[in-house]
Amino acid sequence: MSDFWFEFVEITQTIGDGLFFGATYALIGIGFTLIFGAMGKLNMTYAAASLAGAYAGLAAFAFVDAPAPVVFLISALASGVLGFVAYLTCFRFIPINNHLAALMASIGGLFFIDEMVVHATDGSPLTFPALFDDVMFDVGPYGVRGDLLFVLAMCVAGTLALLYVLYRTRLGLATRAVSQQDVAAQLCGIDVHRTNATTFVLAGLLGGIAGAMTASAVGVLSPLITVPLTVKGLIVTVIGGLGSIPGAIAAGLLVGGFENFFLYFRGVNERDMYVLLLLFIFLVFRPQGIFGSGADRD
Amino acid sequence: MSKFKLATIVTALAVAASILALGQPAAAADRTVKIAGWGAKSGPLRSFGVNSEAVLKAAVKSINDSGGVKLGDGTMAKMEFTYYDSACNADQAISVVRKVESQTEALIGIGPTCSGAAAAMYGIFQKKVDDAADTGLQFPILTDTAIRPGLAKKSQWTFRNVPNEITMYDEMFKWLRGRYPDVKTIYGGTETDQAHSRITFAAVIVPMAKKHGFEWVGGGIKEVTGKVAGGMKQVLEVSKSSNWLLADTSFSVQARAFKRSGADMMIVSSHPFTTCGMLKEMRRQRIKPKVLVGLTSSSSAETLKGCGAAAEGMYIPTGFAPITEAAAKVAAAAEANGGAADLHSAAAWENAHIIKQVVEATGVMAKPDTLKADRRKVRDGLEALAKVDGLMGEIGRVQDEGESIKPYVFVQGQSNAWKVVHDPR
Amino acid sequence: MSYYLGLAQLIGIHTLLGLSAYVLMLTGQLSLGQAGFFAIGAYCAGILTVIFELHIVPALLIAALLAAFFAFLVGFPALRVKGLMLVVATIAFGEFVRLFFFNLSWRVPRDGIHVGPDSTNGFREIRYFVANGWSAWEITLFVWTFVLLVMAALWWTDRSRAGAVLRAVGEDELAAQSVGLSLTTVKVTAMTAGGFIAGVGGALYAHTATYVDHLTFTVLLATFAISYPILGGLSSVFGTLVAVIFIQGVLVEGLRFMGDWRSIVFGLLIVVAMNLKPSGLFDARTARLLRRAVGLRGGEKSRA
Repeated sequence: MSDFWFEFVEITQTIGDGLFFGATYALIGIGFTLIFGAMGKLNMTYAAASLAGAYAGLAAFAFVDAPAPVVFLISALASGVLGFVAYLTCFRFIPINNHLAALMASIGGLFFIDEMVVHATDGSPLTFPALFDDVMFDVGPYGVRGDLLFVLAMCVAGTLALLYVLYRTRLGLATRAVSQQDVAAQLCGIDVHRTNATTFVLAGLLGGIAGAMTASAVGVLSPLITVPLTVKGLIVTVIGGLGSIPGAIAAGLLVGGFENFFLYFRGVNERDMYVLLLLFIFLVFRPQGIFGSGADRD
Repeated sequence: MSKFKLATIVTALAVAASILALGQPAAAADRTVKIAGWGAKSGPLRSFGVNSEAVLKAAVKSINDSGGVKLGDGTMAKMEFTYYDSACNADQAISVVRKVESQTEALIGIGPTCSGAAAAMYGIFQKKVDDAADTGLQFPILTDTAIRPGLAKKSQWTFRNVPNEITMYDEMFKWLRGRYPDVKTIYGGTETDQAHSRITFAAVIVPMAKKHGFEWVGGGIKEVTGKVAGGMKQVLEVSKSSNWLLADTSFSVQARAFKRSGADMMIVSSHPFTTCGMLKEMRRQRIKPKVLVGLTSSSSAETLKGCGAAAEGMYIPTGFAPITEAAAKVAAAAEANGGAADLHSAAAWENAHIIKQVVEATGVMAKPDTLKADRRKVRDGLEALAKVDGLMGEIGRVQDEGESIKPYVFVQGQSNAWKVVHDPR
Repeated sequence: MSYYLGLAQLIGIHTLLGLSAYVLMLTGQLSLGQAGFFAIGAYCAGILTVIFELHIVPALLIAALLAAFFAFLVGFPALRVKGLMLVVATIAFGEFVRLFFFNLSWRVPRDGIHVGPDSTNGFREIRYFVANGWSAWEITLFVWTFVLLVMAALWWTDRSRAGAVLRAVGEDELAAQSVGLSLTTVKVTAMTAGGFIAGVGGALYAHTATYVDHLTFTVLLATFAISYPILGGLSSVFGTLVAVIFIQGVLVEGLRFMGDWRSIVFGLLIVVAMNLKPSGLFDARTARLLRRAVGLRGGEKSRA
């Protein structure tokens, strides 16, 4: 009996850890989904720009010993600026219906940002200031990482702020108008480029926070994680349903929990295969994602 | 308009000319001993290339400052090196070695960084010298960084000067056995998608620990034979939840697996990024093993930058530490060149000096028309070496495998630095 | 010389990789899973020449057919999704294949050593070419025979009704369907052809590199696969070739004189190229100009 109880605690703790860590995936997923929802395009620079933002925050920490909120603020701002630059260089001047060219340009942007970071740091892993790193909440037999709770809270707060902007402000109205029918929006006097640029900056701000959160949750920052984070962000976006912000959060947590579950039972060599199978299952049986309506799955 | 056009054409010509000039170094009127180096200078492993280049630069300068290299006819020649970026990529490593072999007068190459790139690169070489049926590349290589066990014997043209992990861990566990008599059980994890960390973990570290009486707990590795030849499956049955991958970011399951095992000693066999991730998670979960052992590759500045505090107390055997006068000098010179000397890059210094020694011993002429013969002489000279002087003492050569047995020390993470805790030399 | 020949081999192989994505793109499918088919071709051909000691030609054909078979299987579920969903689905497929080979260990003793794929340790000793005394010239010729065959086949297809069918589906699925084209047939055929071409490329790659491991076939390689046709433009097969030469020949090898700047300029130049020529370096207009320049009758076949 006690063996069973012990095993039960282990498994639930494992899944719980994964769910919480999934909050960092969710934050990246939100950014992809936001831009996809607005423009119907894939911004491949996103995860790289988010991590570059975190590096900017880290620089502030290293050189002027900035306190944690400032580190996060600088990360967000830097990544917001990068979002704007990415829009200008990879989307603004490429014909709106040429999805492939925009995708390719943003892939070029991903390489560029990544390599800039590599050159600035020599690719060496750098320690990132942890938030509430040593805070562990003990709930009965379980332990919960304080910093991941904070990440989750930020995730929810960021989402609420985004939803507020999207549904309660003129800017949000314009964004949604552009995402639904850009020609009609233009005819109504909405500046499509400005609206899109704003979406990129918004996503970038969020991305910077996501990057800093991820870095602080890992405790180490390295350009090694750019591509895996991009892939994971995309998987989360699809499982959550393209364009669905709550879906991205749910999917992030789901993927995190799933990863840990299979890591525990099947080992690390097979872990990612099961995550991919989860994605296949969604693609085949529920292509509209967790919260998708099913009407539009392109 | 026409003026503008003219200006454009002139600029274009100037650019083209300068590119040509850069591409083809002036024909060597005076004789020089040319060597080529390459490693990862782009991508996440850039620090390896930067370090190797910095050390190589310092080494070549020191050789030239003391007069250069004596050629077969008694002329003193300067040594010259070019460093290429092969980006931890097999295609680029192959391209670079082909370029160096066919487009330059380099006598020998030093590189690459990554074992995967090295495994591919070594594969295009001629397996046995004088085998006319084998059209592989004929060009000597003396690798400084790629450390995965058993690579250099792929070809008789390829040599390495990298630490021999089998001896190092054998001696270290023997020493730990004496130092911690009450430590009985061991447990650990590795990065399974990186061949070096995984093979060293399964075929070197754990078997050596077992040899010295430590007991592996927590299941996982079943039949540790210590033989890689039969393949990974025969070496280890990967344990369920104690390992991770190179770019992993979450380690809670692995850390708890260790906690559950209740072992006295923890082995973290991975590269700096995940070593840091794992160590930080262990701190979060307040796991304090009595002894912590790391992978050779973690005994570098990267680990300290990533998690100096968390690496406190970790024991690692390493082939370089600035404990001799020569080693300290190299460390300082590397730093002046914008890099760091560590167990990987310090070998570049030794390699440059080994090459000097071989060139002098075999009477290399360093003339354009003796290039092929010179390269052959260098290869034969390298094979004939039984031992050479290294920064930390004498380096033995495993002649038929092209590998080396380097002197080593044991370091431990202490207040954000690697302190030498035992010197078995 | 061996440097340029090696580079020519690499360019040829990457052209095959790019063409495998090109075929799919004609039908409007963007696949980031081509590295998976490339991996199947590489491992399968390697296993056949190393473990079964087969001649390179049958090994290559069997490997390509196997890759084509998997592409055929993938083709059906892939029909259900398009756009970003397809991109992510194919990434997932490619990663799945990579993880399969990451876990694959199959070793047999041969001449005193063990050979065969060995999980993380990679698949060494795929030395069919050098061990059989092929010179660099012969290897290059061999590689380019396949490249030219594939290019000619695609060129011919493009000029026949089949090419029009592919492009019709790519331009407007609904319209294509309404004129009686079967989307399933067209898309699955394109996927299978793409798999075959990638399989040939992978088989050649494994033998020129002599070593592969799972890290060779990451998303990065798949990204390169789609980069070539996008960067080169979809107007003809030559676009892909031009783009491969641009990336592998110019950006990777040609810019070596720039030292540390090379890797930074790499991404930057891709961004610049896409802004200047969004429909590809070798778009319909360039093709026309070029044709006119070399004195061929030009311009009558214009494509958007």
